[in-house]
Amino acid sequence: MRRYRISYFIGQALQGIWRNGVMSFASIAVLMSCLVVLGAFTLLIVNINTNLENLDEVNKIIVFLDYDLTEEQIVDIERQIKKIDEAKTIKRITADEALRKLAQRAGENASLYDDYYKDNPLSDSFEITYDDAKDLTTIEFELQGIEGVRKYRDQRYIVNLISDIKNGVLFVFLWFLAILFIVSVFIIINTIKLSVYSRKSEISIMRYVGATGWFISLPFILEGAIIGLFASIIAYFVEEYLYKSFVGSLGISIEIITLIPFSELAGGILAVFIIIGVTTGIMGSSISLSKYTKK
Amino acid sequence: MIDFIHVVKTYPNGTVALNDITLHIDDGEFVFVVGASGAGKTTLMKLILREEKVTSGKIIVDDIDITKLSYFRVPHYRRNLGVVFQDFRLFPKKTVYENVAFAMQVVGTPQKLIKRRVPALLKTVNLSEKSKCFPNELSGGEQQRVALARALANNPSIIIADEPTGNIDPKMSLEIMNLLIKINKLGKTVIVVTHEKSLVDYYQQRVISLDHGTIVDDRVGGMYE
Ligand SMILES: Nc1ncnc2c1ncn2[C@@H]1O[C@H](COP(=O)(O)OP(=O)(O)OP(=O)(O)O)[C@@H](O)[C@H]1O
Ligand SMILES: [Mg+2]
Repeated sequence: MRRYRISYFIGQALQGIWRNGVMSFASIAVLMSCLVVLGAFTLLIVNINTNLENLDEVNKIIVFLDYDLTEEQIVDIERQIKKIDEAKTIKRITADEALRKLAQRAGENASLYDDYYKDNPLSDSFEITYDDAKDLTTIEFELQGIEGVRKYRDQRYIVNLISDIKNGVLFVFLWFLAILFIVSVFIIINTIKLSVYSRKSEISIMRYVGATGWFISLPFILEGAIIGLFASIIAYFVEEYLYKSFVGSLGISIEIITLIPFSELAGGILAVFIIIGVTTGIMGSSISLSKYTKK
Repeated sequence: MIDFIHVVKTYPNGTVALNDITLHIDDGEFVFVVGASGAGKTTLMKLILREEKVTSGKIIVDDIDITKLSYFRVPHYRRNLGVVFQDFRLFPKKTVYENVAFAMQVVGTPQKLIKRRVPALLKTVNLSEKSKCFPNELSGGEQQRVALARALANNPSIIIADEPTGNIDPKMSLEIMNLLIKINKLGKTVIVVTHEKSLVDYYQQRVISLDHGTIVDDRVGGMYE
């Protein structure tokens, strides 16, 4: 019965990575960057799509009022808005309510907002809905004539903006990603080539004693796979760090966008990273070996 | 059993290393292959090992036409051959024991069997007490004996030695040659390429003489030149 030890192959693969330190490091670094970019891109798209879905009421205008208005003035503004025929419903959102909503969206970072309740930086606002996109111009025209209205924002603008950003980003990222992947595979091919070269004499002895092609190749295939695995695990942690810092830095400045918490996507990201990382590693080493094993 | 039938080997650069070689080596034979440098001796060995392919002609080894052997079957074919080189080709970072055991691990021999067989092999080549040494702690003759033990590890029926005594002093050479004779007596076919006239004359075995890629002499008990 034939028996081969997995530990032998893994040992050889790790030895190869260690012996070939600089190249292995370069491979891991480049593949990792590639995965981080891929991850960032995916997170962005997922977030954009979620936000587009959440904008269920696209026919909506948010009217932000001046700061420091008295309750009377606000009630007066509400009355004026109600006079606009095209406005279907009007809902008042106090500054405190707005802040609470923001805090809710931040999820695990909600406590960041605690300090703002004392001196709320937001103003009261009204949410106006309407039936037809054509009504928008009329409503906006009327709003311009109301004193105490600081600014207003309609949602269609956001929808357009987001899909524009999405398309632009998609284009740039796909190119960037393609180039990075080619570079990754290329570097892995060379890393494995070097590793094979440094074991040339060992391999020739193995051939003479009747080692099969796969017995000789497996350590190198594993070397590529382990490089991919390392790259994907590191990429995961880098991605987590970057995303959380990004969410943290955006914090209070965006009022309409809901960012998906990292924890919700973590499992999927890790799995995809590992699959792509390991596959790329195996692909690189296979290409490298295919030239060698033909003889 | 090894048969060469009108074998021609031309290297890609145009050198005709072997030209129309036909020869037969029986099971259990001991054969010296002699000839001047560049005569084609190593090429002959490489063809048997299927390290090089023939340009034309046929080579039959144990009823297998190895000129038609697919890439995937070469490793299995080689397990029936044991090879020894002038430069030993041991793993410098493995001990004597590990060097021999490795040849068996490579073909997936169970560890239990390896543990039983390696000491026996080392005993055959009189190196039992050196099993924990590294190659650089051994003399040339001893290193070549390790290589011989490794060549025997998978119990091949044919042993090929390309100038096995080329890097060893004459006294040790005799010891290596005696071992090869002993291995031959165990029933294995042994083919030895050598330059050493005195050894060939001493052993009185079959001698195949090559010159410029052709067989110029083939006789039992022959003398060098
Ligand atoms: N890989 C190769 N490519 C081209 N020519 C080669 C190659 N190997 C050997 N030759 C040529 O083929 C001829 C036979 O070489 P071979 O190595 O078989 O000779 P040899 O009898 O073993 O010589 P030596 O006694 O020096 O080892 C020589 O002319 C050599 O230069
Ligand atoms: Mg030679």
